[in-house]
Amino acid sequence: MGQRLTGAEILLESLIAEGVDTVFGYPGGSIITVYDKMYHYSDRLRHVLVRHEQGAIHAAQGYARATGRPGVVIVTSGPGATNVITGVADAMVDSTPVIVITGQVGNAMLGTDAFQETDVVGMTGPIDKWTFQIRQAEDVATAVAKAFHIASTGRPGPVVLDFTRDAQVGLADFEYHPCTHIRSYSLPAPADEAAIEAAAQLIDEAERPFVVYGQGVVLSHAEEQLKAFLKKGGIPAASTMLGLSALPSDFPYYVGMTGMHGNIASNMMTQQCDVLIAIGMRFSDRVTGNPSTYAPRAKVIHIDVDRTEIGKIIPVDVGILGDAAEVLERLTKRIRFSFHDEWAALARRYDRVETERVTTPETAPGEGPVNMGEVVAKVAELSERRAVIVTDVGQNQLMGARYSRFCQSRSFISSGGLGTMGFGLPAAIGAKIGVPEREVCAFVGDGGIQMTLQEFGTIMQEGTPVKVVLLNNNWLGNVRQWQELFYGKRYSQTKMLNPDYSLIAQAYGIRYRCVESRADLEPALREMLAAKEPFLLDVHVREEGMVYPMVPGGRRMDEILLNKDEWYRDGE
Amino acid sequence: MENSNMYIISVYSENQVGLLSSISNIFTRRGINIESLTVFPSEFPGIHHFTFRAITTEKVANQLVGFIEKEVEVVRAFCFLDNATSSAEHAVLEEMLMRNKNQ
Repeated sequence: MGQRLTGAEILLESLIAEGVDTVFGYPGGSIITVYDKMYHYSDRLRHVLVRHEQGAIHAAQGYARATGRPGVVIVTSGPGATNVITGVADAMVDSTPVIVITGQVGNAMLGTDAFQETDVVGMTGPIDKWTFQIRQAEDVATAVAKAFHIASTGRPGPVVLDFTRDAQVGLADFEYHPCTHIRSYSLPAPADEAAIEAAAQLIDEAERPFVVYGQGVVLSHAEEQLKAFLKKGGIPAASTMLGLSALPSDFPYYVGMTGMHGNIASNMMTQQCDVLIAIGMRFSDRVTGNPSTYAPRAKVIHIDVDRTEIGKIIPVDVGILGDAAEVLERLTKRIRFSFHDEWAALARRYDRVETERVTTPETAPGEGPVNMGEVVAKVAELSERRAVIVTDVGQNQLMGARYSRFCQSRSFISSGGLGTMGFGLPAAIGAKIGVPEREVCAFVGDGGIQMTLQEFGTIMQEGTPVKVVLLNNNWLGNVRQWQELFYGKRYSQTKMLNPDYSLIAQAYGIRYRCVESRADLEPALREMLAAKEPFLLDVHVREEGMVYPMVPGGRRMDEILLNKDEWYRDGE
Repeated sequence: MENSNMYIISVYSENQVGLLSSISNIFTRRGINIESLTVFPSEFPGIHHFTFRAITTEKVANQLVGFIEKEVEVVRAFCFLDNATSSAEHAVLEEMLMRNKNQ
């Protein structure tokens, strides 16, 4: 027989039993009992008080992505719950384990339009992995245990626990048993032997095999297995944006990022390969362009832990349902040692073109205003590739993805599938709290930073030493880029008048420096990276900066714009 | 273009508040009308049986089954063409379940 506790205490005890030491949250009327009990838990549970509930969930996402452990969010009912919705949808599509606890009115008031009552179960059901309304204290521990099990196993995702007032104040015996089995929820089983055999055969017969991997490699801790597989098969590999950092940037078989703004080599080779091995990725339209023209010569092998992803967008020749680490380990044993030197060397040829036509002009222009890519490349150089890079959404994200360099996994955190502006600043806070020993550097634009600007208050209160690099061009740059290229330069509502960020930094007591010229850039970045405290670096970048190369939406992946009026022609 | 036909999608699940709405959302989000819907306690104790009828293609019907099975409380889901045989079997099953329930 366990201890007799209130539901609110059981929640906190259960979180601690799951190994949680940090929660992100914001108090309110329907969750006040939990906060009251939390008062006595401050030695065991750190609570990070954010400035808006959206900040809490993005911080929890950043924490989860940096550490691999579920992020935990505690918010109140009604607006508290609706404010986390964006983050729940974001965590779902980016497979991020997050546990969200929303307060809820008393059981008798459910469905009565009570103050701050809203249908959380109905709203979050379609956009999360699991939702459960806890109506009595007896169910709290079991619900928390199930929540952690569901959020962190299989394809991870967000779970919402709607915690009614009755369940918070009611009494129950507390005993914690972690959940390991749910009869209607099966964990990934060992992959089908016949499928692995068929895949090995295709790979052995291939002349131009190619790997595209995604975040699944990180989520399944399959980084080493992937390296072994690529080395044995002699197979070049490209990463999706969320897969970045799973392989070190200088790994010999790594050819770069794939997709709309990916590297020329990876997109051209996708279109030429004869066997495409997709690992822990979901063929997003940002990766495939027009799916009916994607990898036209390839037999496709798709390895994923989520059965609905296999064949969803790209028809497969061999689908392998299973965990990437397990599948790769078995597949590596099956395949022959191979070399595809001539094929792999193609990447270097494409890279030379990209360096000359795109990368050098972007990162080392020599004159004119500072470029966004230049800033990112300089951070990679000065931080010796060791920083965790967090980005917001837009050009800052694409530049951050293209020009950052990595030497360890879990070093790139960005909102991929949902593309949530405002993600960057709070996610960086969460990441830094999760991995305080690592440098955390956020690239944000002047649009996105203003969507969650209030989180500077969290940085101020917690003293979280994140380094925020504001790529400030006075535009909503990515939309502006599309308007310039595809909408007749009609810059509809993309020009932004910015506040004086030095005053904002001053108001929050955050160290600030502004960069307006190339000569200032390196000293300012050195000062920022050397700082022990939070830092806002406001870099005034080229207003009309563009992200290239670019495969315009709905095109073939080898239809690549090098600049606004020049398509890449193979063989140059 | 694949042919559209009437499919029966049969779902066995735990009894969980909100699950019906989650499952029906899987249809709604893809713009698929649910032509009919029944919910019964199944032949297995504690397990509910939903049947949805919808006009769609084989590929989409199979995808729907995948997405429905992803719901944590869903034990199994199946789809099959709504032809005369399966409809008759279905009607008999529903009738039996209804009688059991009324007894």
